[in-house]
Amino acid sequence: MIKDTSIEIRWHGRGGQGAVTSAELIALAAIHEGKFAQAFPSFGPERRGAPVLAFNRIDAENPIRIRSGVTKPDIVVVLDPGLVTLINVTDGLKPGGCLVVNSTRTVEDLQQEFSGDWKLAVVDAASIARELLGVNIVNTTMVGALLKASEAVKFDSLKAPLGERFGARAGANFEACMRAYNSTAISQITTTGTKKPKSFAVEKMPGWRELLVGCMVTEPGNTKRFGTGDWKSQHPVWDDKKCIKCGICSLVCPEGCIKPNNEGYYRANLFYCKGCGMCAHECWTQAIKMVEGT
Amino acid sequence: METLAIYASRLVTERDYFASGHRACSGCGEALALRYVCKALGRNTIISNATGCMEIVSSPLPETSWEVPWIHTLFENASAVASGIESGIKALKRKHGYTKEVKVVAMGGDGGTADIGLQSLSGALERGHDFIYVCFDNEAYMNTGIQRSSETPFGASTTTAPAGKFSMGQHTQKKNMPAIAAAHNIRYVATSCSSYPFDIMNKIEKAKQIKGPSYIHILSVCPTGWRTASNLTITMGRLAVETGIFPMYEIEDGKYTLNFDYPKLRPVEDYLKVQGRFRHLTKENTAEIQEHVLTEFNRIRLLAGKKIK
Ligand SMILES: Cc1ncc(C[n+]2csc(CCOP(=O)(O)OP(=O)(O)O)c2C)c(N)n1
Ligand code: SF4
Ligand code: SF4
Ligand code: SF4
Ligand SMILES: [Mg+2]
Repeated sequence: MIKDTSIEIRWHGRGGQGAVTSAELIALAAIHEGKFAQAFPSFGPERRGAPVLAFNRIDAENPIRIRSGVTKPDIVVVLDPGLVTLINVTDGLKPGGCLVVNSTRTVEDLQQEFSGDWKLAVVDAASIARELLGVNIVNTTMVGALLKASEAVKFDSLKAPLGERFGARAGANFEACMRAYNSTAISQITTTGTKKPKSFAVEKMPGWRELLVGCMVTEPGNTKRFGTGDWKSQHPVWDDKKCIKCGICSLVCPEGCIKPNNEGYYRANLFYCKGCGMCAHECWTQAIKMVEGT
Repeated sequence: METLAIYASRLVTERDYFASGHRACSGCGEALALRYVCKALGRNTIISNATGCMEIVSSPLPETSWEVPWIHTLFENASAVASGIESGIKALKRKHGYTKEVKVVAMGGDGGTADIGLQSLSGALERGHDFIYVCFDNEAYMNTGIQRSSETPFGASTTTAPAGKFSMGQHTQKKNMPAIAAAHNIRYVATSCSSYPFDIMNKIEKAKQIKGPSYIHILSVCPTGWRTASNLTITMGRLAVETGIFPMYEIEDGKYTLNFDYPKLRPVEDYLKVQGRFRHLTKENTAEIQEHVLTEFNRIRLLAGKKIK
């Protein structure tokens, strides 16, 4: 029998945050150690801001034949703090595994959200990235946190891929990794969590037998079922005293999600609002303000 | 602006035929333009859509954002499919007493229109099918990650024509697609922009009345590919028009009308400096672009029978 020498990692981020780069760095580091490795994103039509997935497989001894997404990960890494309570990031996480989260919350506070038999590792990656890299891009920082929580690859194996990928900025990125490695707090999860995040499936495509000939879709406009509201980090808030009910905001929304209410004042349907800020920018009277949060 | 214009938005139908829940980027100008196009087309419409951002973000199987009959075609054959549909409707009318007035519309991105679908578009225009072609020009192959197209403007950095030590990015000028369409002697050609909802809707209305082919070229702001903030999408389109970089005009039975002219065009720098794709341009590059823009704008002015300022 072949010994199971594999590690599977699932990365949760938002489009544009660089989860794919994180996964690639880990795979390159593993290959550098003479292991077999994969890194790939989950390909969907989702765009900038949308929750996205990336995957790693590492095998110390055997070539990796499987090509599908990771559904039973040993490690889950969450790049965007907002995603932890938004989707069920621990879906399929193996007992004895590990969840690594970028958050400003403490590990004691965050562990209340979860139950299960695995470790929780928390790091304030955003602050580290802002301080050392000058931007809130945590893809390299979170690699450091991951390596603290598990020995998927050796820390030093990152040097070569970081150098190749980031050139002149490799030093700062390595330092961010190191800082995260040293400041990640880890706790064993045993408590029963309180909040129930939305469940999700890695891929919810219908099987080919379920499709109509020509891939016909017979229900017009059924993307309306799909909330794009969790893509946003800011949402619009109206000050009706300033509103002259011109309707411009409604016209310029790319989601078509702003409608007048019974009193003729305009409101966004936050189920769809992606937080682009166009309504606020185009309102003549500055009646709309963008406010943090979904 | 006069009071009437302020409240004009209230007159626009609330009915959308391009539904929410689509997966376009936050602040996407192409989705915005498409919303306006669909509002103006109304429900008696059949759409043939080449692949590209709008096709991909609107049809994640088994879902669709479309509330009119819509077919996803290949890159190269949106116009051929539209020709087939239009001919089919004609045959239904001739042989089976079908009486409904349905407008057939083909659409695609700049890549799908000016490069890969150009041949089938030319064929459909030349054969005189009764259809509207709408090009959503975001100035690159955006769906696959910002590759240059023949509509990418001079000086823009893309992933396949990147700016760097040895290159200033795209070194060719935009292909003049409206002129190519007009060269087929079709009755209606127009340019428009995602920041001008009323202009888009009026031009689609006009095109609907034409029996035969018409072509509408819509500059569609893409915050992802242009590297602009998502709340500036409307601003960017206005700047493109007010600097003269994207002239808005119609060609009706060969006659040019310039829809937006200004006593003084804004300097192109206002438009270029806010976009990441132009960030690398030098003063000399900008001056070169400025000169070209004025020449082109004056050419359209002359064609429209206006005096050069
Ligand atoms: C013949 C062919 N080549 C390449 C592709 C891959 N592809 C799909 S969409 C796309 C880009 C589309 O660009 P454009 O037409 O400008 O539309 P946009 O995405 O910018 O809206 C490409 C290259 C394809 N589907 N078919
Ligand atoms: S654009 Fe501003 S003033 Fe006009 S309806 Fe919207 S909120 Fe009111
Ligand atoms: S921020 Fe405003 S314009 Fe943008 S999606 Fe939300 S409601 Fe629409
Ligand atoms: S890449 Fe550009 S055109 Fe495509 S969906 Fe995103 S913003 Fe829209
Ligand atoms: Mg394009």
